[in-house]
Amino acid sequence: MAETSEARASASAPGGDAGGEDDKHDERMLECNICLDTARDAVVSMCGHLFCWPCLHQWLETRPSRQVCPVCKAAISRDKVIPLYGRGNTKQEDPRNKVPPRPAGQRTEPENTSGFPGFGFGEGFHMSFGIGAFPFGVFTSTFNFGDPRPSAAPRGTAQYDEEQFLSKIFLWVAILFVLWLIFA
Amino acid sequence: MAAMSPSERRLQKELMSLMKEPPPGVTVDGDQASQNLTLWTVHMEGVPGTLYEGEKFVLQFKFTNKYPFDSPEVTFIGNNIPIHPHVYSNGHICLSILTDDWSPALSVQSVCLSIVSMLSSCKEKKRPPDNSFYVKTCNKNPKKTKWWYHDDSV
Ligand SMILES: [Zn+2]
Ligand SMILES: [Zn+2]
Repeated sequence: MAETSEARASASAPGGDAGGEDDKHDERMLECNICLDTARDAVVSMCGHLFCWPCLHQWLETRPSRQVCPVCKAAISRDKVIPLYGRGNTKQEDPRNKVPPRPAGQRTEPENTSGFPGFGFGEGFHMSFGIGAFPFGVFTSTFNFGDPRPSAAPRGTAQYDEEQFLSKIFLWVAILFVLWLIFA
Repeated sequence: MAAMSPSERRLQKELMSLMKEPPPGVTVDGDQASQNLTLWTVHMEGVPGTLYEGEKFVLQFKFTNKYPFDSPEVTFIGNNIPIHPHVYSNGHICLSILTDDWSPALSVQSVCLSIVSMLSSCKEKKRPPDNSFYVKTCNKNPKKTKWWYHDDSV
C-alpha cells in the first residue's frame, strides 16, 4: 500500500499532488475545532468557527463564567451559535435541543405539566395555593396579578387572557375559602 | 479496534499528524505515546540562532480523560531543563495557555510551538527569581500552582 502510493506520488506531476492537498484541505475545513472529527450536529459561532454542538456545549459547561470561542476567544454563548443543516440532514432538528440537559439552575421553557391535574392552566400560578402556605398563596397570587412571571404567556395572547381569567377565579375561590375558615 | 473515548480519539489524531508533519525541531516518541495515549514524551531542539541553539530538551505531556477540555500537564523532564525566566529548575513552566488560557482548540503541536517561541525570544538565560522557593514548596503537578503570569514578551 505504502509503496504504491509513493510510486504514484513520485510519478505524478507536482500539479497532481497539489490537487490531493486541496482535497485534504477541504475536508479539514469541515472538521470540528474541538474533536478534530467531521463536525456532527454542527454549529457555527458568530466569529465563524465550526464545532460539533456536543463539543462546544461541553466547553461552555467547562467554564460557564468565561464563555469564549476556543479558536479566537471571541464571546460565545448557546444563543449566539447558528445550527448548520446539510443536504443529507432530513430531520433538521436544532442540535441545541438534543444535547444532554443543562445542569440544575437552568429554567426550561414552560410546558403544560400542571401541579393541579385536571385544570390545565399555565405554570404562572401553580402551587401558590398549596394549603400549607395558604395565606401566602393568596398574597402571591394577588401580587402576581399585574406582574406575570416570565413563564406566563405573553400579554395579549389568548393564553395570557385565559391565565388572567383563571387566576381571577382562583383569587375568588381563595377569598371564599378564607371567609369560610373565618366564619365556619 | 476497541471503542475509543473522545479524548483517546482526539489524542490518536493528534499523534498521527504530529508524527507525519512535526514542527521543526520537535519530535514525538510515537511508540511510547501509542502504547499509552495519556503520557507523551516530546523531544525539542533549541532553535538555531537563539540562546538555546544546539541544546536538546525533553517535554512530558500528561493528559486526563477530560482532554481537550482539560489542559495537558506539561513539564520539562530529564537532565537538561532549559534555563529560562519562565522555567523552574524542576521543569515546571509558567505559560498561561497551560492553565488559564487553555482552549480545546489548542493541541500538543500548538503547545510545543508556544514553548519553542517562548525559548526563542529569551534574551538572557536565567531562572525565575522565585525559583528556589517555588521548587521547595510547589505541588508536583504544575497545574495546581496558582500562576502569576509574567510578562509574555520575555
Ligand atoms: Zn467535535
Ligand atoms: Zn471564534
